[in-house]
Amino acid sequence: MNFFNSGLFWFIEGIFACLVVIGIKIWMEDRGIPMPYWKWLLFGLWILFLGFTIAFIGTNIGEKEVTAAVKGGILFGLISIILGVGLWRLLLIKPKRNS
Amino acid sequence: MKSIKLNIGKKFNRRQFLKASGLASAALGSTGLGFFGYEAGKNPESYTGWENFEGANQSFNRKRKSVDHPTYEKIGSSQRPDARTEVIFQRRSLFMRQWKDDTGLEGLDDYLQEYYRKRPEDLDLDLYSMKELMPKMMSDSRKYRQKFILSNAWSNAMGAVSPRSTNEPPEKSDFPSRRRFGGPTEPEKMKSPELTSNLIKKIAHELGSTLVGIAKLNPDWVYLYPMRGRGFEQDKPIDVPKHWEYAVVVGTPMSWDPMYANPNYGTSNDAYSRSRIIAYRLASFIKQLGYAARPHTPGTSYDLMVPPILIDAGLGEQGRPSIVITPELGNNFRPAIVTTNLPLNPDKPIDFGVQRFCKTCKICAENCPSGAISFGGKVEVRGYLRYQVDTAKCLNFWNSTLGSMGCRLCVAVCPYTRKANWLHKTALKVSMNDPTGVSDWALTGLQKRFYPGPDPQKYYMPSLGGENASYREPPWWLKAEDFIEF
Repeated sequence: MNFFNSGLFWFIEGIFACLVVIGIKIWMEDRGIPMPYWKWLLFGLWILFLGFTIAFIGTNIGEKEVTAAVKGGILFGLISIILGVGLWRLLLIKPKRNS
Repeated sequence: MKSIKLNIGKKFNRRQFLKASGLASAALGSTGLGFFGYEAGKNPESYTGWENFEGANQSFNRKRKSVDHPTYEKIGSSQRPDARTEVIFQRRSLFMRQWKDDTGLEGLDDYLQEYYRKRPEDLDLDLYSMKELMPKMMSDSRKYRQKFILSNAWSNAMGAVSPRSTNEPPEKSDFPSRRRFGGPTEPEKMKSPELTSNLIKKIAHELGSTLVGIAKLNPDWVYLYPMRGRGFEQDKPIDVPKHWEYAVVVGTPMSWDPMYANPNYGTSNDAYSRSRIIAYRLASFIKQLGYAARPHTPGTSYDLMVPPILIDAGLGEQGRPSIVITPELGNNFRPAIVTTNLPLNPDKPIDFGVQRFCKTCKICAENCPSGAISFGGKVEVRGYLRYQVDTAKCLNFWNSTLGSMGCRLCVAVCPYTRKANWLHKTALKVSMNDPTGVSDWALTGLQKRFYPGPDPQKYYMPSLGGENASYREPPWWLKAEDFIEF
């Protein structure tokens, strides 16, 4: 059993995920940006897609399928970046103040 | 510099620390996912295979996809096949022994004459193989044989150990000749077919079988006329023995790395040999319980068509390349069968979407150098609607390559024959649970663009305009040029 296929690996990944969520929460609070549930939901989906992209590249390199790693990396990577930029703009939306 | 130092000293409080930790965790977590993927891709455990005992790899929950009727369709009156002409290896072997240029078709046995009169295109292909391909293969082999010395040696080594084939008639060979433990000669009284089935499956897995299934034997699948060397009276129809009630199917995959380097470096001998030994051991086990058992072991020694029995036993479905595709191994496996009268509980067939997927995919047909795999739909064959491969064209390609005998490109390129890691398992689950078929189209498109192979013409040997190409690089231990002085 390799470390990266073990339960311990996913336990540590879980800790990292919690720290990322806490970090973002504090960062947003410091800037006065609210984080309703739908923002968390979109952020979670984007993180999943980004994780898929990274693992896709790694898996295909491991399988010696370089073409798939490069083409998939470019395709999914570009989608990740475009979605990430869009998401970032959404996340930074602040509620309009009443005049 | 001063202000930075001050910032660090004064402002790196708990909130700052947590924000920095989040950033670091994102970087480490992403890197970890990359390594996870890399390990998942190269891990030999995802090869799936016979070495993982105790059914560890019969991982697919068949109950969720089981159906009452198999996914092939009976549309006319059925007709049992003639092994002498329908099994290409039998026909070629008989043809090559009997053909003489001066007598032509008239010099062949009656059944061969009748067959070739109905299928003159097969006579052309069989003659082309004998007169053109074989001599070219011999001359190319002399030039290039060293490149494939290790793959040939590997293939021959895997086929070197084999039980002596059953070559006696069923009434003689199938029944236990003596009881090892003394006691009565009657069969043991089993408590229930369900319990017996569980026992037999467990034993088959313990013997090394990756997949096991049980079917009630449909007599339509038994050859009308037998193969040579199976103990039947030659050129007389087989009277299906009453004790061939059930068929226990076992199967093991071909070794992963050579399989991926087909057609020149792979072999079927590894999986056939393993499955054959398992079948003979299983037959022995059943006989010692006092019941009849007969092993049928492709590719050389069997009395029935194997693929439909696999389908009846719920191991998989027939795909476009005419062989059976399983959820665990795709079509990367070789089966053997034990027919028996031991009372068993047959499994149900399964439908996990292969019929729909193969209609869209066609990757095997696109990559088949011989054009043996059809781009079209199913056709009626002896009363059943099914995909049909042109076996003469297929075998002619075998005689157009120099490696370890055979082709198996349809195994290597099949999207179902991917490693059992998170990526391909997810794709399989998406495909089999999508009722719209949209994912079939999307996954096939990705497969074609992400995992391309060489131009099919390059698989041929040089004298036929090819380059001795393989679908993927051979494993390091089959590269002869790295070990042998040329």
